[in-house]
Amino acid sequence: MPPKKAREQASRQVNSAKQVLAPEVIAKRTRRHLDELERSNYAEPSISLLGEEEDDGAGGKYAKGRARQTISDKRHFGDPSAKKKKTSMNVRTAILYRKNLATLIEESGIAHLPPNVPTYLTAAAPPPVIPPRLLCSVCGYKGSYRCKKCSMPYCDLNCENVHNETRCERRVI
Amino acid sequence: MRSSTIVVLDNGASTIKAGIINNERDEDIQDKVRIIPNAVVRSKGDKSTYIGHEMERCRDYSALHYRLPFEKGYLIDWDAQKAVWDGLFSSEVLGISAAESSLLITEPYFNLPNIQEVYDQFVFEEYEFQSYYRCTPASVIPFGQLFSPGAAPPAECTLVVDSGFSFTHVVPIIDRQIQWYAVKRLDVGGKLLTNQLKEVASYRQWNMMDETYIMNHAKESCCYVSTNFLEDLEICRSNPKRNNITQEYVLPNFSISRNGRIRQPEDELTPTDQVLVMENERFSIPELLFRPDDIGLEQSGLSATIAASIMLLPSDLQGMFWANIGLIGGNTKFKGFRQRLFSELRSLAPSEFEVNILECDSPLTEAFHSGCAFVKDTNFSDLVVTRAEYQESGANASRRKFRDWQISEDNSKESEKGKAKQGLDDDDMGQLSRKPSRTKVRTGNTSTRRR
Ligand SMILES: [Zn+2]
Ligand SMILES: [Zn+2]
Repeated sequence: MPPKKAREQASRQVNSAKQVLAPEVIAKRTRRHLDELERSNYAEPSISLLGEEEDDGAGGKYAKGRARQTISDKRHFGDPSAKKKKTSMNVRTAILYRKNLATLIEESGIAHLPPNVPTYLTAAAPPPVIPPRLLCSVCGYKGSYRCKKCSMPYCDLNCENVHNETRCERRVI
Repeated sequence: MRSSTIVVLDNGASTIKAGIINNERDEDIQDKVRIIPNAVVRSKGDKSTYIGHEMERCRDYSALHYRLPFEKGYLIDWDAQKAVWDGLFSSEVLGISAAESSLLITEPYFNLPNIQEVYDQFVFEEYEFQSYYRCTPASVIPFGQLFSPGAAPPAECTLVVDSGFSFTHVVPIIDRQIQWYAVKRLDVGGKLLTNQLKEVASYRQWNMMDETYIMNHAKESCCYVSTNFLEDLEICRSNPKRNNITQEYVLPNFSISRNGRIRQPEDELTPTDQVLVMENERFSIPELLFRPDDIGLEQSGLSATIAASIMLLPSDLQGMFWANIGLIGGNTKFKGFRQRLFSELRSLAPSEFEVNILECDSPLTEAFHSGCAFVKDTNFSDLVVTRAEYQESGANASRRKFRDWQISEDNSKESEKGKAKQGLDDDDMGQLSRKPSRTKVRTGNTSTRRR
């Protein structure tokens, strides 16, 4: 527990800060964070697995150009004398032209199925019925206050200071 | 024609669980499972690329770069997938001749039709399997041991919780048919949890953002599901140094060990050892399965999602679902997972219903072993699409034959009407077109409603 003085000071800040940050801005930040949690790699290197240009892993768009070399062509396992068969056009296309999931969902047409047909889009868990709880964005303990600038929660004066010095209004890591 | 070799391939977004069933030689039927990473991994340390099974040769696990065939649970990078499958089918792992084999492969729930077509193309045009069957992991679970430990036949109404790398699904099944209209998805899986731990640890202690492998191991070693989250938070807060929650995870020193370890009391550290202190991180990370809103994800937690799914099922059968909940997938291995789920479900379920949660020894490979049982217990060769059928009618062949969400519409209507039209002979477990029979269910289990 923070000293009483600090608590009072902090709660005053909360009061004066109520509508500083629009809910859309917070929602956008949350969405960006959730997208980050989907990434397979934090640092996407400019040099790829096999030394050529690589499009970004998880959110990758179409492969950049026909010349892109594939990894599956490069390695042959087991019997080296095994006959090389011709790859079909369908398979070639799938290998060369990677599409991200959003594109594939759009192209699948599942958004236009009758509403009684269950799909990926309708299967998401329902929104929570219990109210959210505040957890300190610095130490993970119960949060009691929100930053007046960026509205991230913190638990005491100490964590408030850490927050202000490290990631207030920007994402440091 | 019956192929003598059947390849069972549980194609997970993080790991592939695969093996061979050989019909001609009975002694080979032992469901030997191979688990290989479904990834192409580049190691910064030795500047080598490891494809799938080759990862076991990798010695330097720091700063690995992952290329995963799956994005958000769906197969999108076929180049990477082909590389991993090429290795899997080669003599380095399974050593099969696809043209003389049949394949059972799992796909994600609600797989997209345009992605399913590519599965067909790879199976028949690239690998030229003799025949194949494609289904979701949960659909084979009724054939395994999870709901029927010993020899007891499984209940007719079961609910599979499949919590994997990409997401967590709640999958109700009546009479071996997935009830797609009640399948629900929580967008929390092992990948998100590891990434969250990476982020929190990096902010609070060491920069671990590039250390997915290490942090995944730390998560699997240290994390547990709390049965009293706020109380555990208090314990860590009020006595940070001395409490029974805090652990020290000693980061691996790659010249000596591949994995880090939890520091034991007598464990002397060397001056170069780096320690990651795991306090509320131990339980705050898996907590997201139960409270996705802790990171702002606007979804109900697992327990409420299960309750929501059951509410969509025929009301006279709901009691059976509460009593037959089974856990598969890696996240269900967290200590305390079942206990927490049980206490929450108990408070959500109507008091007259029994709540029962079943576990298996190996939630990671349960779908694989159930898939093997499925192949053996059904007339598998009647269920598959053959190469000839594919050549004849392309993707339509599998659309007609594989039961999934796209033909579930009629299914749910049938179940609403409650009409049990079935000439079923009970011996034929392979009769997948069998419709749910509510009459049979009622008489089949009298123990559900105890009070
Ligand atoms: Zn704090
Ligand atoms: Zn701030």
